[in-house]
Amino acid sequence: MLLQLNNIFKWVNSGGQRVFLLKDINLTVEEGEFISVMGPSGSGKSTLLNVIGMLDNFDEGKYCFMDEPVHTLKEKHRANLYKQYIGFVFQSYHLLDDLTVQENLEMPLLYKKVRNSERKSLVADTLDRFNLVGKKDLFPTQLSGGQQQLVGVARALISSPKLILADEPTGNLNSKQGEEIMELFKQLNEDGVTIIQVTHSEKNATFGSRIINLLDGRKL
Amino acid sequence: MFKNHVKIAWRSLKRQPFFTFLNTIGLAIGMAGGLLISLYIYDEVNFDTMFKDAERIYRIDADIKFGGTESKSAEVSAPMAAAMERDFSQVELTTRFRDLGSMLLRKSNAEANVKEQGSTFVDATFFEMFGLDLLEGDVRTALKEPNTLVLTRTAALKHFGLKDALGQKLLLNNTDTYTVTGVIEDMSKRSFLRNHNVFMSMAGSEEAKNQEWTSHNFFTFIKLNPESDIADFQEPLQSMLGTYIMPYVQTFLPGATEEQLVASGNYLNFSTTPLKDIHLYSDRDYELSQNSSIQNVYILSFIGLFLIILASVNFMNLSTAQSLKRAKEVGIRKTLGSDKSALIRQFLTESGLISFISLLFALGLAALATPYFNALSGKSISIPFTDPFFWTALLFGAAVLAFLSGMYPAFFMSRFVPVKVLKGAGSTSTGGGNIRSFLVVFQFAISVFLIVSTLVVFMQLKFIQSKDLGFTKDQVLIVEDVYTLGEKTTAFKEEVAKLGQVENATLSSFLPTPSSRSNTSFFKEGGATAENSINMQIWNIDHNYIPTLNMEIIEGRNFDSQFATDSTAMLINESAAAILGVQPEEALGMRIIRNFENGTSNYFTIIGVVKNFNYESLRENIGALSMTLGRSTGALAVKLEAGDFMNAITSIEGIWSKVAPGQPFSYRFMEDSFNTTYKAEQQLGSIFMTFTLLSILIACLGLFGLAAFNAQKRTKEIGIRKVLGASVGQITYRLTTDFLKMVGIAIAVALPIGWYLMNRWLEDFTYRMEISWWVLATAALIALTIAILTVSYQSIKAAIVNPVKSLRTE
Ligand SMILES: Nc1ncnc2c1ncn2[C@@H]1O[C@H](COP(=O)(O)OP(=O)(O)OP(=O)(O)O)[C@@H](O)[C@H]1O
Ligand SMILES: [Mg+2]
Repeated sequence: MLLQLNNIFKWVNSGGQRVFLLKDINLTVEEGEFISVMGPSGSGKSTLLNVIGMLDNFDEGKYCFMDEPVHTLKEKHRANLYKQYIGFVFQSYHLLDDLTVQENLEMPLLYKKVRNSERKSLVADTLDRFNLVGKKDLFPTQLSGGQQQLVGVARALISSPKLILADEPTGNLNSKQGEEIMELFKQLNEDGVTIIQVTHSEKNATFGSRIINLLDGRKL
Repeated sequence: MFKNHVKIAWRSLKRQPFFTFLNTIGLAIGMAGGLLISLYIYDEVNFDTMFKDAERIYRIDADIKFGGTESKSAEVSAPMAAAMERDFSQVELTTRFRDLGSMLLRKSNAEANVKEQGSTFVDATFFEMFGLDLLEGDVRTALKEPNTLVLTRTAALKHFGLKDALGQKLLLNNTDTYTVTGVIEDMSKRSFLRNHNVFMSMAGSEEAKNQEWTSHNFFTFIKLNPESDIADFQEPLQSMLGTYIMPYVQTFLPGATEEQLVASGNYLNFSTTPLKDIHLYSDRDYELSQNSSIQNVYILSFIGLFLIILASVNFMNLSTAQSLKRAKEVGIRKTLGSDKSALIRQFLTESGLISFISLLFALGLAALATPYFNALSGKSISIPFTDPFFWTALLFGAAVLAFLSGMYPAFFMSRFVPVKVLKGAGSTSTGGGNIRSFLVVFQFAISVFLIVSTLVVFMQLKFIQSKDLGFTKDQVLIVEDVYTLGEKTTAFKEEVAKLGQVENATLSSFLPTPSSRSNTSFFKEGGATAENSINMQIWNIDHNYIPTLNMEIIEGRNFDSQFATDSTAMLINESAAAILGVQPEEALGMRIIRNFENGTSNYFTIIGVVKNFNYESLRENIGALSMTLGRSTGALAVKLEAGDFMNAITSIEGIWSKVAPGQPFSYRFMEDSFNTTYKAEQQLGSIFMTFTLLSILIACLGLFGLAAFNAQKRTKEIGIRKVLGASVGQITYRLTTDFLKMVGIAIAVALPIGWYLMNRWLEDFTYRMEISWWVLATAALIALTIAILTVSYQSIKAAIVNPVKSLRTE
């Protein structure tokens, strides 16, 4: 078991009333799964993903990640946990515009304080693996959307996370680019990486092994 | 990691050239200003520290009130020095200066005199007292003999050569011959002797040997024994009044006692001023060189601090304003595993980099501005590029500045929560608006305050210059050193008076602008008692004096050549009438007695009362003054008719060189001479103005940047509003009013403070202007106008953008 959510609630107070963003979510994810989260706009998919990624807090319930009780951990400890094990991929790529492709890839390693030589070789390997060697000195704005997302995925993967969280990774891409990314995900999954993706596309969802449907913050 | 920080910082600065430019220029201006002011202050507070044992050297001062006149003297009587050295074990050494001002020198073989500024008699202990050595000559014997003198390097080079100077003879003021026995290095620009070039042996001076305990003409310095404490010296010093001075007073006021003296409200209080404090803390009637004041140092420190703070605030404002742009970056970094401290380090690296670049610009700016600043402040400051201490202090200062101004934005931005800031392209406000507003208010408050101060300083100067002085200084030419003409002075005056463009001319050493002064004790009729004694200026003038300077006689008449008795007649001013205890009209016919050393006395009859005229700085009250007919040939004051002054001057010089071939002809206008009295204020005014302009410039850079970012942030909103039908005017108004509100608050805060503090400053002046409401209104208007101009440019620019364009890029 990689992670487990038990009776997770998340709410905001609006006009004296509780508005639930997540309601009684129970979810167990095993290592090696490829899960697609679906649901209409505003149903809480991104919120759920952020909770799993420990970027966002929840108000009630228990969350265990690799047997660590996340809900009791200090901010700092939690950050260490996701730094170690989780990689994020975003719909709008979120590359650092000031950095070249190569430097963007290097960033997570710097934050993990990986030694210089090891860093260099990891970056070189990854560039190779994702066919980005020719683009390594370009800045994000000089790449197409698909290429940017490729860098985004590569960056998420470089520190060999156990879990990849992807929020509509193909949302900004055309169908061909989208398909390439999904193929990539599938292959990573086969190599043993656990993936949770949010998607609006039925077709993309079929790449996964399991589909979770959300409606108004509730799991269906 | 650090290399990485620098690299990223450099790129992010490069990507936002506008922001980087504003920030760098603002900081650079602030730093350059701060740097110059720091150098100025460093210079000011290090006066006279170069002298050996400076901390043990003190000047003896005297506060005197006698005969209705008060004075704060930096000089004491001639016999004081010897008595102190003899009586008090605390006193190791004494040195006296008898300042002579300018002097005419002539080499024995030369035809013409050369005017030398700053000559003084000095005791032979001079060198030992101040730890000075000679370039040429023997320091142990140099000033021991009468009629010997020591020249500074500059003076020696002017007349001879360095090597040739020793043993040369010089004729002084056409009368005495002196031998050069030494050449000394020029006095430091940072010393109380900076204007002195000729040091003459005191040994030949009769005045220095006399026992007149009530004539205060000698600047007297003591060197305190290393074991003694100056606080313990006060009592022995004051005891000299009883030991020496009262017995002397009794020789001409029989029966006078110290108790009587005190009871009648008179006093003679001695005090000491540490050598190193003279420049900043001493403001006595007559000083060896013009001093500055600690108040100016404070004022300038504040201005310097303001500048730096303004620049730093700019930095904070611009950095946080563009945080919206940086928010996404912070979010991404955090999801990639960056913790807060790494982000803080990143942002601090950025501010460090900006600060370092600014420092380079600031050094360039400061170097360029140095000559201008020197002209402004009357200093000769240079940037000590080769001084390691300077660089250490500079880099340290820049680092502290970078840290202080980078800290707030760094903490502010590193706090962003990734889920919030990464949410799509949302226009979530990143906050900080309140603090930003506060900082803008703060900046403008400082600027408004400086505007008020500048206005007041300049208006006070104007007020002084246009004040009715009681005499007319315009179109009055002063020919100096007329005494060198000897017998021919009167002939010279008459020749000049005949010139077509000359209305009138008068011979006198005593002028209402800085010139000779002479204070003497007189007695009212009825006996030489303490109660009857009065102290007044006594000026020797001629018949033409009053009309030449256009003074007004309010009672009685001017001297008249038809009355032979006028040789014992006297004019007094209103203040003198007041200390005589009579109304001006009652003063006419009163007799005043002057006792001389040799026992004879003179009677003067008051024939007229002159309307008070300002003969000291307008900081002082007008003291009692009397004028008698007498030969006094220091200067010829010439009233010219309007027209070509150069022409008149050429004619006068022509007469001069005919009457006195070979004597240097020097002149000045009374107006200029008057203005030099207010040099300190004028300098303060110019410094205020310059730094006010700089601070306004910095504040405007900040406001300009903020307005730009604000407009940028609201591009989408503006687009939508325009699509919905808003006009350019409406949008400009919306964008501008927010800022103007802040400036309004700043004005409301700064005006009362400025009003209060400037009133305090004005209290130093006996004659001062009122700060009327419209001065404050003008300051407010200036600030508002500048703010409107700065902001509306950005607002209009944003308002006229085609909405289709701004919405499409969203
Ligand atoms: N900070 C917040 N305060 C109040 N409501 C919020 C906040 N964050 C999210 N919500 C609300 O929570 C709900 C779920 O948002 P979420 O972003 O998870 O939706 P989503 O399923 O990802 O939608 P989409 O498919 O459009 O991305 C929405 O109704 C949103 O309005
Ligand atoms: Mg979403």
